[in-house]
Amino acid sequence: MLETRGLVKVYPGPVTALNGIDLDVPPGMFGLLGPNGAGKTTFMKILAGLLEPTSGTVTLDGADILDHPETLWPRLGYLPQEFGFYPHLTGEAMLDHLLTLKGIQAPGGRAKLVRDLLERVNLSFAAKRPVKGYSGGMRQRLGIAQALAGNPRLIIVDEPTAGLDPEERLRFYHLLSELATDRIVILSTHIVEDVAVLCPRFAVIRAGRLLAVTAPSDARASIAGHIFEGTVLVEDLRKLRAERMVTQALLVEGKNRARIYDPSATPPDGFVPAPVTLEDAYLVLMRLGALPARGKRGPSAAPGDEPGSASHAASVLAAAASEAAR
Amino acid sequence: MSLGRLAATFGVEFRHSFRRPLFIFLAVILLLNAWGLSSGKMSISSGDSEVGGMKAWITSEFAQTQMMTFIILLYYGLFIAAAAGLTLLRDRETKVDVLLHSTPLTAGEYVWGRFLAVTGGFVVLMVFQMAANAFFNHIVPNASAQEIRGPFAPMNYLVPVLTMGLPFLVFFAGLSMFVGERTRNPVLVFLLPIAVLVGCGFFLWTWAPSWLDPRVNKLLQFLEPAGYRWLNETHLKVDRGVEFYNKHAVPYDMLFWLNRAWLLLLGFGAVLLTQRSVARSLRGAVASKRDARTAAAEARTGPIAWDEAHAGAALSGLGMKGSAPGFVSSIASVARCELRELVRQAGLYMFVPIILIQVLGNSLLAVGAFDTPLLLTPGTSAVAIASQASGWVLLLLLFYTVESLERERSTGLSQILYATPCSTAAILWGKAIANSFVAVVILAASFLASAIALLAQHTVPISLAPYALIWGLLLVPTFLAWTAFVTAVYAWVGNRYAAYSVALCALVYTGFRAVTGQISWAGNWLLWGPRTLRWSDLGFFETDRAALVWNRIMVLGLSALFAALAVRLFARRGTDAVRTMHRLAPRPLAVSAFRLAPFALVPLVAWTVLVFQVQNGIEEGAAKKARKDYWAKNLKTWLNAPLPDIARADVAVKVDPPRHWLSSQGAFTLVNSLDSTIAEIPLTGGLDWNHLAWTLDGKPYKPDDRCYLYVFTPPHPLAKGDSVVIGWKWDGRMPKGVTKNGGNTDEFVLPSGVVLTGFSSSFLPVLGFMEDVGETKDNKTEARRYPRDYWKGITRGGYGATAWFPARIAVTGPAEYTLNAVGVCTSNTVTNGWRTQVWETDHPVKILNIVCGKWKVKQGHGTTIYYNAAHPYNVAEMSTTLDAARRWYSEWYMPYPWRELKLSEFPALAGYAQGFGTNITFSENIGFLTKNDEKTDATFLVTAHEAAHQWWGNILTPANGPNGDFLSEGMAHFSTLLLSEKVKGPRGRMAFAKGIESRYVDRRRVDDERPMYDIDGKRESDETVIYDRGGWVFWMLYDFMGHDRALAGVQHFIRTWSESRDHPALQDFVATMRPYAADAAAYDAFVKQWFEDRAMPEYRITEAKKVKEGSGYDVTVTIQNTGTGRMPVEVAAAVGERWAKNASYREARGVATIGGGESKTLTIHCPFAPKQVVVDPDVRILQLRRKQAVATL
Repeated sequence: MLETRGLVKVYPGPVTALNGIDLDVPPGMFGLLGPNGAGKTTFMKILAGLLEPTSGTVTLDGADILDHPETLWPRLGYLPQEFGFYPHLTGEAMLDHLLTLKGIQAPGGRAKLVRDLLERVNLSFAAKRPVKGYSGGMRQRLGIAQALAGNPRLIIVDEPTAGLDPEERLRFYHLLSELATDRIVILSTHIVEDVAVLCPRFAVIRAGRLLAVTAPSDARASIAGHIFEGTVLVEDLRKLRAERMVTQALLVEGKNRARIYDPSATPPDGFVPAPVTLEDAYLVLMRLGALPARGKRGPSAAPGDEPGSASHAASVLAAAASEAAR
Repeated sequence: MSLGRLAATFGVEFRHSFRRPLFIFLAVILLLNAWGLSSGKMSISSGDSEVGGMKAWITSEFAQTQMMTFIILLYYGLFIAAAAGLTLLRDRETKVDVLLHSTPLTAGEYVWGRFLAVTGGFVVLMVFQMAANAFFNHIVPNASAQEIRGPFAPMNYLVPVLTMGLPFLVFFAGLSMFVGERTRNPVLVFLLPIAVLVGCGFFLWTWAPSWLDPRVNKLLQFLEPAGYRWLNETHLKVDRGVEFYNKHAVPYDMLFWLNRAWLLLLGFGAVLLTQRSVARSLRGAVASKRDARTAAAEARTGPIAWDEAHAGAALSGLGMKGSAPGFVSSIASVARCELRELVRQAGLYMFVPIILIQVLGNSLLAVGAFDTPLLLTPGTSAVAIASQASGWVLLLLLFYTVESLERERSTGLSQILYATPCSTAAILWGKAIANSFVAVVILAASFLASAIALLAQHTVPISLAPYALIWGLLLVPTFLAWTAFVTAVYAWVGNRYAAYSVALCALVYTGFRAVTGQISWAGNWLLWGPRTLRWSDLGFFETDRAALVWNRIMVLGLSALFAALAVRLFARRGTDAVRTMHRLAPRPLAVSAFRLAPFALVPLVAWTVLVFQVQNGIEEGAAKKARKDYWAKNLKTWLNAPLPDIARADVAVKVDPPRHWLSSQGAFTLVNSLDSTIAEIPLTGGLDWNHLAWTLDGKPYKPDDRCYLYVFTPPHPLAKGDSVVIGWKWDGRMPKGVTKNGGNTDEFVLPSGVVLTGFSSSFLPVLGFMEDVGETKDNKTEARRYPRDYWKGITRGGYGATAWFPARIAVTGPAEYTLNAVGVCTSNTVTNGWRTQVWETDHPVKILNIVCGKWKVKQGHGTTIYYNAAHPYNVAEMSTTLDAARRWYSEWYMPYPWRELKLSEFPALAGYAQGFGTNITFSENIGFLTKNDEKTDATFLVTAHEAAHQWWGNILTPANGPNGDFLSEGMAHFSTLLLSEKVKGPRGRMAFAKGIESRYVDRRRVDDERPMYDIDGKRESDETVIYDRGGWVFWMLYDFMGHDRALAGVQHFIRTWSESRDHPALQDFVATMRPYAADAAAYDAFVKQWFEDRAMPEYRITEAKKVKEGSGYDVTVTIQNTGTGRMPVEVAAAVGERWAKNASYREARGVATIGGGESKTLTIHCPFAPKQVVVDPDVRILQLRRKQAVATL
C-alpha cells in the first residue's frame, strides 16, 4: 500500500502545487486524472523520490520513502512525462546501461533480457540504432521498456501513451495490466479513456487538491440518469451553456451535438437520456468540484465544501440551473 | 530579407543580452578592471623608472590600444563566444526553433538578426568599458597614479574600440556562432576562446626569435586576431621613447588594415556559413554521410507487424530479478557510456594536437643562460610538460566534467537515471573516470612526443622514471582534486554557467597568486609558479621534498573531501526551499559538518603542517623577520663602517649531505690597512647557525649580537698594521627548512651536491654589513646616486675582500664525494668512510667557495671538469673551451696566476654559474645541458664567458659603484667574442654578436637607459646594457684600436688594478686605454658617444640600384642613419651565400661614415653581378634593426 498524508508542495513564488494530499493507493492499477497544471506531475515526482515536498509523508508498505528515497528506487519503475536518452547510444546499449544501474538480471543474462524487452515493446528492429534517430513513439517505447523492467513494487507512469499509435497503446495496456496484478501501478494521465479501460480506482486532482477518489463505475453511477444528449443550433449553444451544465458539445453537420448534466432530470426539449461515460463524470466533477452522491441531485460531501470553495460554487451553479429550468 | 523581421529578431536578442547573467558579470568585471587599471597596473613598458622620471601615460592612445588588445582576448573572447555560440543552440534546446521556423522568418533574417544583436550588445559593453576607463582616469582619478595620466582626449578611448575591438568582436561572434551551429557542442564553443588565448599568449604574442624571417613575422602579425603582435612588433618591441607613446596616435599601416580586413571577412563569412547551415537543416538536410546511411537503413527496415501472441507473452516469463546494483559495475557502466560520448567530441581531436604543439614547442624551445637553448632530458621534459599541460588539462577537465554532469539534464534522462537505485557516488565516479580519459590521452600523447623529441635529439636516453614520478606525484592528485572540486561546485550550484564561473574564478585566483608570488606551498594546490618546480637530474626535489609530499597529501585529501561534498550535494531530487532553510539551521548544519569532518581532517592537518613548514622555512616568518631586523638595526651604523683586510683564512668545514648538515670551524686573521684606527669589527653571521662560539685572538669571546651582525671590540683599537684573529665554530642545516613556493636555492648541502660561497655567511662569516640582506620591496630605496668622479681616490671592491689573502680550507664529507674548494689540493685522505680534502691557495684569492658532488673527472691542460656521470654530453667541448680560454686569456690579458682551474657541476636548484678563483661552479643546465646546433655553440659561449671571470671579476675586482659591472660581465662577453673569433672563426663571433645585439635591442628601454658610465644595475634594463651593450662596446673599441694596441692597453689595465687596493671603474679603464690609441682625438670621440652618451645607430637603405659598367656593375646605395652615433660602417655588395660550403660567394665593399640623422650615397664597383647590399656585413657596429639594413638588387 502506498500512502500519502498531508502532502504539500510550495514552489518559490509562492505557487502551491499540492495542497494537502491524503491518498491510499492499494496494489493494482490506479489512475490519476486532472487538468493541465493540476499538480499531477509534481505528485508523481514526489512519489518517485525525485522531488522534495514541503511537508507531508509518503510511505510504501509502511516504509518512509521521503526521507530515504534510496530505499524506494530499487523497487520503482518510473516513466516520466518528458524524458530523453543519450543521443549517441544505441537503444540496446541505452537499455543495457539502465538495467545495469537498476541491478536487473535475468536467467539468460542481461544481454538477452535487453533483447527480450526490446521485443516486448516492438523495438528489436531499431536496437542497434542510435537513440537520436528514434521517433517520438520509439523513444516512448524505450522508456516503457526500462520502466517495466525488473520486478518493481511500484510503477509510476506519467502520460505514458503520449506519442503512441493506437496499436502500441493497446500493447502497452496489456503489459501494464499484466504487471498490475501484484504491484502498485500509478497511471497519471489526462486521457480519461485510459483510466476507464485500465484502472479499477482513480483519483482526481485539481489545483493541488484531491477532488475525488473513486472507481470508474461509481463515478459513472453517480450521474447515471442525469446525462442527456440533444442537438442545438450553433447560435443557441451559448444560451444553453448559460442555462445548463454542458459537458460536451461536438459539431456534427453544422449543428452542435451537446451533452448536458441535469441533476433535476428535466432536460430541455429535444434532449434525451444518454449512456453515461467516465468523461461525463470527470467533467461534472471538474465543474462541481465533487461528484453527486448516488440518488441525490446535489454533490456529495467532498473536501472544501464551504462558501467560496469549488464545490460550493458548483452547488450554487446547480441551484441556479434548477431555478432556470423552472 | 524583411527588415521588419530582422529588426524583430535583433530586438528580442539584443534586449535579452542585457539581462543575461554572464553579460552583467562581464560588465562588473570590466568596471572593476577599469578601476584597477587606473592605478597603472598595465602600461607601456617605456619611460624612466626612476622616481619622478617621465612615465608612460595610461591615458594615451597607445596605452588604451595595448590594453584593449589584452582585454578583448582575456575577457571578451570567452563571453562573446558563449553568447554567440550558444544563441542558436539555446533555441534548439528549448525547441523554440521549431516555432520560429514555422513563421515566414528566413534563415538569413534569423541568423543575421541574432549575430547583430549579440555583437551589438558587446559593442555597447565595450563603449561602457572605455567610458569607465575614462571615468576612473579623469573624473575620479587614482591619487597615487598622477604621473601616469595625461590630458583627456576622447579619441584615445574611442579609436581602440573601432580599430581593435569591433573587428575582433565580429570575428569571434561569427566564428563562435558557426562552431556552435555546426558542431552543436557547447564544449567546443567554450574551448575556442581558450585555444585562441593560449595560442596567442604562448606563441603569437611572444614567439619572435632573432632569427625569425621578417616575412614570417609579418604573416604572424597578419594572422593574430587581437592585434597585439602587430602593435608590439611594429611599435613597442623596439622602444620608441615615452614622448612618442604619450603624445602620438597609433600609426596604423597597411599590414594592420589587412589584418582587420581578414578578421571582418572571416567573421562575416562564418555568419554566412551559419546561415547556410541553418537553411540546410530547415530543409531537412542530413548532417553527414553517416547520418544519411542511418536514415537509409531505417527506411529499409521498420517495426515488425503486430504479433498478438508475441506481444502477449508475459513479462513474468522473462524471469527478471532486481537487486542492488554493484558499485563497480555501475561505475563501469556509467564510465562506458560517458566514454562513448567523449570519443564523439570533436574537441578532443582538435585540442589534443594544439596542446601537444604548444607544450612541446615550449619545452623544446626552453632557453638557459644567455638565451642558449637547453638540452632536453626526461626530467626537464616531464617537468616542463607538467607545468604547461596542467593548465590545459584542467580547463579541458572543467569543460568535460561540467558538460558530463549536465548531460542528463540536457538530454532529459535525469529523471529516469536518478530514479534508479544506482548510488550517486557510482554515477559521479563513473563520469570522473571517463573524463580522466582526457588527461590520460594528453599525457600519453605528451609522453610519446617527448620520447620522439629525445630520440631526435640523439643525445639523452629515454627513462620512464621521471615521467612516472613527476606526472604521478604532481599531476594526478591535482587532476583528481580539480575534478572533485568541479563536481562539488556543480553539485552545489546546479547550473552549468555558475559552475564554470566559480571554477574559473578559483583557477584564475590561484594563478594570479602564483604569478604574483603571494602563494605558498600551503595554498598552491596546482603547483603553479614561475619556479615552483625545479628539476635536477642529480636529485629529486631535495630542497622542498617534504613540502611537496605534504602538499600532495593535502591535495589528495581535498580530492576526498570534495568528492564527499559532491556526493552529498549532488541533487538527484529537487530540493524544497523550506526544507533547505531548515537544513541550514545551526543544529542540522553542525551535524552535516560533523559527518564531513573526517574527510576534512587530512587536508586540514596537511595544510597546517605546510603553513608551519613555510613559516619556519628559509623565506618566510622567522627567517624573513630576522633578515629585516638585521637590515633595520644595522644599516645606518654599519653600511660604510671602516673594515680591516683579511690577511689569512683558515677554515675546516664538515658536510653531511644526507642530513643537509654542515659544521664550520675556522679563523680570520684581520689586519688594519687603513690610515685610521678601527675600534669595532662587524661580522655577519648566518641565520641557521647553531651552537655558535666565537674567539678573539684564541680566547673565547662574546661579541655584541646585533641581530646576526656580530660586533667585535678588540682590547685596543687597531692602528694601521695591527692585526687580530677572530675564530668561530658552529653547525647547522643548509638550507634550514623549505622555501615559500619552490624556486631557487642558491646554496645548499644536499645529497645531490653541496654549494657554499663566501658571498653569504653560508659556511664562514662575511666581513662587514651586507647591504642587500633584509631589503624587501617595502623598505627598498632608490639606488644611491654617485657623482661621475666617484671613482677617483680609493674605491671599494664590488664584492669579495679588498685585498688578496691566502687561505687553507679543509673539507670533510662522505667518502663518495669529491670536495672542491679554491686553491690546490694538498691532501686527500679517507678515514672511517669520511673523506677530507685540504685546499691551500698557491696564489692569494679574494673570495672562497666550496662545491662537492659525486663526479667523474675530465682532465684538460691545466683544467679539470668535474661532472655528473649522467651528463657527459658537452664535457669534451667544455674541456677544450676551458683549455682555450685559459691559454688565450692568459696570453691576451695576463698569465693565469693559479696552478689549477676547476669547473664543477651542481644540481639545478639554482641556475647560475660563478667563477671563483680556481673553482668555477656551473649549474647543470648551464653548459652541461646546453644544446648546440650548427649555428650556435652555446656550450662554448657559456664556458668562455664564465672562464673569463677568472680574469674579469677575480684577478681584477671592479669598483663598488656605477659601471663597475661592465668590467666583469661586459668584459666577459667581450672575451667570449674574442675567443669566438679565435677558435670558431669570424662566423662564430658574428653569430654571437648578432645574438647579444638582438637581446639588447629587445630588452632595452630607451627612456630608462643611461650612458654606460652611469649604469648601476638597479634599473630594469640595466642588465642587458651591462652584458650585451657592454660586451659589444668593448669589442668595437678593440676593433677600433686594433688587436695589438687594444690588448696592450688591456694588459696594462689588468696588471695595474689587480694589485691595487683601489678598485677600477669604467673611467679607469678608459683612461688606461687612451695612451694606446693611435688617434687620441678619435678615441675620445669614440668614448664620448659610446661611454658618455648613448649612441645607437640605426641604418636604413633608402635606395639601392646597380648599373652595368664595363665588365662589372656599379652599385649605388643610399644609407640613412635614423639612429644616433657616427661610426665608419662597411657596406658590401654581394652575390651568393657567404658561409655556404660550395657557393661562389663574391663581394665588393665600401665604407661610409654616417652620423645620426644623416644620409649618404655610396658607389661600389663590383666585377660581378651583385644580388644584394648589406650594411655592416662583418657585424662590427652595434645597431638597431639590422635586418632593415639589407636590400636586394
